[in-house]
Amino acid sequence: MIKIKDLEKIYRTEEVETIALNKLSMEVKDGEFVAVMGPSGCGKSTLLNILGLLDDPDAGSFIFNGIEVAKFNERKRADLRKHNIGFVFQSFNLIDELTVFENVELPLIYTGVKSSERKKRVDEVLDKVQIMHRRNHYPQQLSGGQQQRVAVARAVVNKPKLILADEPTGNLDSHNGNEVMEMLTDLNEQGTTIVMVTHSEHDARYSHRIIRMLDGQTVLENIMV
Amino acid sequence: MIRNYFKTAWRNLWKNKLYSGINIFGLAVGLAACLLIGVYISHELSYDKFNRNAYRIVRVTMEYEKAGTVNAVATTGTKVGPQFKRTFPPVEEYVRTYIRQNIIKHDEKIFDEPRILYADAPFFKVFSFHLAEGDPATALDASDKIVITRSMAKKYFGNEDALGKTLTMGGKDFRISAICEDVPQNSQLKFDFVTPFLNLGNNVKDETWWTANWITYLLLRDHNSISQLQQQVNDYMKSTAVRKDAGVEGNNYLSYHLEPLTRVHLYSSLPGFEPNGSIRNIYIFSLIALLILIIACANYTNLATAQSAGRTAEIGMRKVMGASKKQVFIQFISESLIITLFAGALAIIISITLTPYFNNITGTQFSVSAFLKPLPIAALIIFSILTSFFAGFYPALLLSGTEVIGVLKKGFSFTGGKNLLRKTLIIAQFSISAILIIFTIIILQQMNFMKTKDLGYNKDHIVVLPIGGKMLSDFQALKDAFSQVRGVESVTASYETPEYVQWGDGISVTDEKGKHDISLNAMPVDLDFIKTLQMKLIAGRDFQQSDFAMMDTSNDYQNYHQPYLINETLAKKIGWTPEQAIGQAIEKGATGPVVGVIKDFNFSSLHDPVGPLLIFLNRDYSRDFMLRINGNDVPQTLSRLEMVWKQRITDRPFHYHFLDEDYNKLYQAEQRSSSLLSVAAMLAIILACLGLFGLAAFTTVQRTKEIGIRKVLGAHAGSITLLVSKNFLALVVIAIAIAIPLAWVIGNKWLQDFAYRINISWWVFLAAGAAALLIAFLTVSFHSIKAAMANPVKSLRTE
Ligand SMILES: Nc1ncnc2c1ncn2[C@@H]1O[C@H](COP(=O)(O)OP(=O)(O)O)[C@@H](O)[C@H]1O
Ligand SMILES: [Mg+2]
Repeated sequence: MIKIKDLEKIYRTEEVETIALNKLSMEVKDGEFVAVMGPSGCGKSTLLNILGLLDDPDAGSFIFNGIEVAKFNERKRADLRKHNIGFVFQSFNLIDELTVFENVELPLIYTGVKSSERKKRVDEVLDKVQIMHRRNHYPQQLSGGQQQRVAVARAVVNKPKLILADEPTGNLDSHNGNEVMEMLTDLNEQGTTIVMVTHSEHDARYSHRIIRMLDGQTVLENIMV
Repeated sequence: MIRNYFKTAWRNLWKNKLYSGINIFGLAVGLAACLLIGVYISHELSYDKFNRNAYRIVRVTMEYEKAGTVNAVATTGTKVGPQFKRTFPPVEEYVRTYIRQNIIKHDEKIFDEPRILYADAPFFKVFSFHLAEGDPATALDASDKIVITRSMAKKYFGNEDALGKTLTMGGKDFRISAICEDVPQNSQLKFDFVTPFLNLGNNVKDETWWTANWITYLLLRDHNSISQLQQQVNDYMKSTAVRKDAGVEGNNYLSYHLEPLTRVHLYSSLPGFEPNGSIRNIYIFSLIALLILIIACANYTNLATAQSAGRTAEIGMRKVMGASKKQVFIQFISESLIITLFAGALAIIISITLTPYFNNITGTQFSVSAFLKPLPIAALIIFSILTSFFAGFYPALLLSGTEVIGVLKKGFSFTGGKNLLRKTLIIAQFSISAILIIFTIIILQQMNFMKTKDLGYNKDHIVVLPIGGKMLSDFQALKDAFSQVRGVESVTASYETPEYVQWGDGISVTDEKGKHDISLNAMPVDLDFIKTLQMKLIAGRDFQQSDFAMMDTSNDYQNYHQPYLINETLAKKIGWTPEQAIGQAIEKGATGPVVGVIKDFNFSSLHDPVGPLLIFLNRDYSRDFMLRINGNDVPQTLSRLEMVWKQRITDRPFHYHFLDEDYNKLYQAEQRSSSLLSVAAMLAIILACLGLFGLAAFTTVQRTKEIGIRKVLGAHAGSITLLVSKNFLALVVIAIAIAIPLAWVIGNKWLQDFAYRINISWWVFLAAGAAALLIAFLTVSFHSIKAAMANPVKSLRTE
């Protein structure tokens, strides 16, 4: 599914130049569940953003589903992204002004799904993440765990092939964290590929493989048994 | 403490340069509008008040009924002044006045002077025009005396002392008896020379009630006696003896009204020697200044409340440190005070820069120093302070009321549905702008309509040459000479030019039922009048040379007949068809036949419908030659005319104007209002958009995260732009919907004053609405497009 080679990303501000990714290469197969770990600032989020086609690399190759996408423009990336990739963030990133239902519905609107079909599919996933009873509430009326469940629902409602999760349990207590991890595991078992950034060795154990990063490079890979 | 407030305030303004800039600029424009218009209004309100006796002076106006028509004029006969002084003890003094043009000469210097005042001797006692040299008591006590203003002394005598020197006016010598300071702008009497009233000639020597050409002022002994004197005048004019003396019979009447001097300029409906101002314009101008200021204040309030979300932490911290609600309130008011004081300073600069344009629009002559006097500056400062309270009160109240808890609760949101105030203010701003835009379009359309309307004659390419001095006695020779100039197609002459006929008159027509009196306007003209002005005859013919034979002056006018042309309306009023009218007899002093009926033409302002008009052949009354020239090389034709003039007329400088310019002058007041409104409409929409620009910038920043999320989920730039713009545009649409009916009502009310007017067409509303919406959209989309193009990774990277 994902094959990157010698990927580079450099941030330039007025004073400094930060090499966020330094000739990084890696591969993720269809149906895999990969955890990315490493100290703060080593480039994990940068990597995930590029994998998610939110950002473009400065150099290197990125093959997604057999297509070279490193040089894709914004519009093409957006098209590919909205049909294939779901995101879960540490800070949930729900829209405060929209209800739970409307938040989850959003990706379907942008991919042009009809209204009746949208309703059916949103209700389906809300049911799956057990938040159906809160469908008309606003994000701020929910607990952190509930908000992250909504975020997961939003990430999967479009049935993406790949889910990218950036520290999905970072803002949750262990109980709620475990719940989210179970949900991701379930999705993976149903065939969704998952790449997850985490600081927690505990969470990493849910994955098949851990990629360890340091200063924009992969330093080690552990295969889980 | 205060220093601390100002320091924080200053830093905050500096930090939010865009918003501060918008606020300062907007408020400065609003305050400048108030300052300019304020200076103008105080000038208008100060009219004639410089006179020490201002409250004891009245202007006498005349109202009379004749032949079923009531007329009111500001002018009176020569008898009113002296007779009232003799009859009514409250009258201390009278002054009869007249202002006219004349040729003034000193050595080589010869000028056509338009402002020569003829006034009775007590003029300088009644009015307070200060004499720099000479004695007010004797300045006008002999017929060869003339008073000149300081600038005229300079013009004719340079640095020499003009007192006692001689000037020639209309061929007669006058002694300069006094030098008067230049007349202030706010005087209803504006003159450069003053000479005794009786110098007007033999026709003013006799006292008569009629031949009302003069403006009479009375000085009363006591300003409280006006209403009592008015009552006495009313009774007196009704008495049989006076009615008989004035020749008033039957149902007719003659009466006089006393207008306090200080109310003439703004409140009188009767123009004197200069057009009056109007209290209605004062109200409209004040309203416009205020509306612009309100729009600017609304911007401040909106941007300040919008920013307040970001400042809850600061306020919470201050409160934790022990600041009271009052202290926080004062802090925010100081911020708005700083802004408005900056704005006030900028407003002075703007006003000074715009003074020439403002003078142009309002027809005033303010100099820059008019704004740098203590009074306007003090007024501006007070106004700025009031404005700062007005604009800053609500934000300050809102912010000082923030609970300490608010600090802890992040995500304090201002984008929700509860911003009723902000929405209301935006709607108000755009409603005001849209009304001004629509109203401006309507006025401009009406102006254009009046300029291009078919008046019933062709006003273009008519050169008007005023007749004076000995020109009348050379009439035919001059006419022939002008006719022969290359480029001149046709020449005629008349008492008044056709765009504004004031000569009022009465005729009698006799039919089976007896004799009928009709009051109408009349104009004495020369031959070729119809031809030169390209009017249309519906029946009969123009005057011709042989008509002069009818006008037999021998035998003491025994066989004198006067040929007449009448307009359609007059024919209809009498009850004749145009064909029937030809050959019928009309009596106006002399009896004579109708030789032709002309199609109605507008001989008065388009405010009034065309009334009955009688045109009679008499070149002795002529005051203007009118020459139709062809449009090729007008300057050449004019210089040829000047050559002919100089050969034949030595006592008058060559002086001409164009008929179409005279016509346009009739609508100067409307022209001014329309220019002022155009500017106001433009300012209003610019300020409203500036506010929108600031708000859009602000909300876009606020919604950065949301926009980022939406983009991650696949939203494209177009849908983001729409998302951010649509709330604002909805408000603008509501504003336009409110503005349209209001503008329609106001526009129609304004148009009602015109007998000839446009119909307001629907596209005006559509165009104005679309323009306002488009401008608002462009303003908002500047930010929303920027936001839509931004990289979402950056927007979400704010943890
Ligand atoms: N938009 C940016 N501009 C400048 N520097 C950035 C930007 N985004 C990330 N960085 C820098 O790149 C490095 C990698 O960041 P990131 O991928 O966020 O690390 P992490 O592994 O903690 O997720 C850091 O040093 C960070 O400061
Ligand atoms: Mg990170």
